[in-house]
Amino acid sequence: MSREKLQKLGIDLPLFPTTTVGSFPKPENLMQARGKFARGVLTAAELEKLEREATEFWIRTQEQIGIDVLVDGEQYRGDMVAYFAEHVKGFQVSGLVRSYGNRYYHKPIVVSEIDWSRPVTVSWWQFAQSLTAKPVKGMLTGPYTVMDWSFNEYYPDRKATCFALARGIRVEVEALIEAGAKIIQIDEPAVSVRPEELPIAIEAMHMVTDGLPAYFITHICYGAFENIYPGMLETPVENFDLEMSNSNLDLLELFKRHPFTKDISFGVVDVHSHLLEDLDTVKKRLKEAAAVIPPEAIWVDPDCGLKTRSVDEAIGKMRLVVEAARSLR
Amino acid sequence: MNLILTNNGSYPRIGETPELQVLRRTIAQWERKEKADEDLREAERVMVRAAIREQVEAGLDVVTDGQIGWYDPVSHLAGRLEGVKINGLLRFFDTNFYFRQPVVKGTIRWRSPQLAEAFRFASTVSSKPVKAVMTGPYTMARFSIVEEEKYRSLPALVEAMSEALAEEVGALAAGGAEFIQIDEPAIVKYPNDLPILKTALDRLVSRKGKARLGLMTYFGDATPLWEPLQALPVDLLGVDFTYSPKLVDRIEGGGASKPLTLGLVDGRNTRLEGEAELIRPLERMLPKLPADGNQLGPSCGLEYLPRDRAFQKLQNMARLSAGLRGQKRGGAK
Repeated sequence: MSREKLQKLGIDLPLFPTTTVGSFPKPENLMQARGKFARGVLTAAELEKLEREATEFWIRTQEQIGIDVLVDGEQYRGDMVAYFAEHVKGFQVSGLVRSYGNRYYHKPIVVSEIDWSRPVTVSWWQFAQSLTAKPVKGMLTGPYTVMDWSFNEYYPDRKATCFALARGIRVEVEALIEAGAKIIQIDEPAVSVRPEELPIAIEAMHMVTDGLPAYFITHICYGAFENIYPGMLETPVENFDLEMSNSNLDLLELFKRHPFTKDISFGVVDVHSHLLEDLDTVKKRLKEAAAVIPPEAIWVDPDCGLKTRSVDEAIGKMRLVVEAARSLR
Repeated sequence: MNLILTNNGSYPRIGETPELQVLRRTIAQWERKEKADEDLREAERVMVRAAIREQVEAGLDVVTDGQIGWYDPVSHLAGRLEGVKINGLLRFFDTNFYFRQPVVKGTIRWRSPQLAEAFRFASTVSSKPVKAVMTGPYTMARFSIVEEEKYRSLPALVEAMSEALAEEVGALAAGGAEFIQIDEPAIVKYPNDLPILKTALDRLVSRKGKARLGLMTYFGDATPLWEPLQALPVDLLGVDFTYSPKLVDRIEGGGASKPLTLGLVDGRNTRLEGEAELIRPLERMLPKLPADGNQLGPSCGLEYLPRDRAFQKLQNMARLSAGLRGQKRGGAK
């Protein structure tokens, strides 16, 4: 159990600690400002001012709701991969590529050696942490996922690209720890897509986390977990943050067959539905989790990032998470 | 030996300029009810014209309509069948693209032609022959959630899907389609299902008329099922060589019993192919293939690439293969 590690890091959390997966919706004024910045009619400094205001709003909101482990809300990021590609040498941002329906994104291209000598997220983490006494998670996208969501024109293959990114992300992790971060989440949503590459993802995570004094979480979502479980438990992190509600807690059946041996951040609300679940439904999900996984290993959160919800919906979903957790403590 | 340069499916429906973003803009406005259905159709037509223009300019002999009007490779056709509803998003194989999953709730019935009009329009605006491309019944069935009891067995579901899609093939053939390509990427993941696929293809072939019907596989290694694949009742067999690197040796050694659609251009990565990836394998395989009708093109649809790179890939393919094509045609370089 990883409580001991948290305590060694000076972090004391209640039973069923509450957190969120990372992103929050951007307020309307920030969305408009991002559009203006893209059109060149707003300066970077003007945009950053609004990003900082939005970050402060979300820190205050999480505190007010009673979340135990906070996030900065990623108000300054476009998406989980392109943001890093824009700030790390070795990437070029490509033209638009469709992700589904009428949604498009700029998929990065690795065009030269990855050079992650300058930390990307540290100043934002420092700003967010300066606003609260509660722990704020360092939030990164993992090397396997950045590789999988990028084109590669430089490295010989996927593995080499992934490992080059892992070496870079370790620099970021070390800088976050140096700045004071004690809980660091490294998201790997792509990891379940090619089960045969799970060993590459695990080795890359070793390169990122081995020997470093932090409590590590990895978030995985929307995948065929049955293809990578229980092998994924070998990933060197303390906590798996998993989307559970969107799949009707199906994974619990897997966990009954092969015990879940790490801490879990258990998604108790569906982030892709506008509807707010009722409290009893959320409590029931948590009770079902606690019947299969030791309660002291369970953190409670939404399934995934809340950025696709409205501000009110995101707040409503967070309140449910906190109320359900508190009622079962 | 003739080598036909083709596109094998989609073409990016967006670019970096406002003109090339008309479809995205119009769909967003249409969803807000600010634009009418006809505005949407016109925006699609604008992007079909652009897709065809670029494919011709790049040097292709046979183009596609870019599948510009397709929401995704699965729900576009499945969602229009009676008895099928469309559900949430699911990742399309190992790509970074998501499709909406069909849910089979009742008896599957074909309603009306969905592709014939798009084919007709593309043909009228293209100076080159247009290949009609459609996802096949096996892959469609594999991606469906089944709630209707009588389709609980995969063969029964594939049979129903193939009966419906045979009508599409018939409508395309009646509309003058010369090449019809059936995409069945799922079969390389489930090689044991080849007999199910064969039965489905028999049904499609029965409606193809004078068209040449091709089978396209991608996102998986075709080498382990190479022999039975060649026995399928199609005129052309398509392979994604980015996933099947050893197949070059196999074909060089044993040839192929029917013309191939050679997916040698990586439709999933921006890096442009060099002679080593494109020309050397062709030089090894072409002498062992049937003399006529082989196609060279991308390993899959091109929508996984940004527009400029999709164009460059096709242009690069045409440039690199020009010598080879000239040499084969003229007998000397």
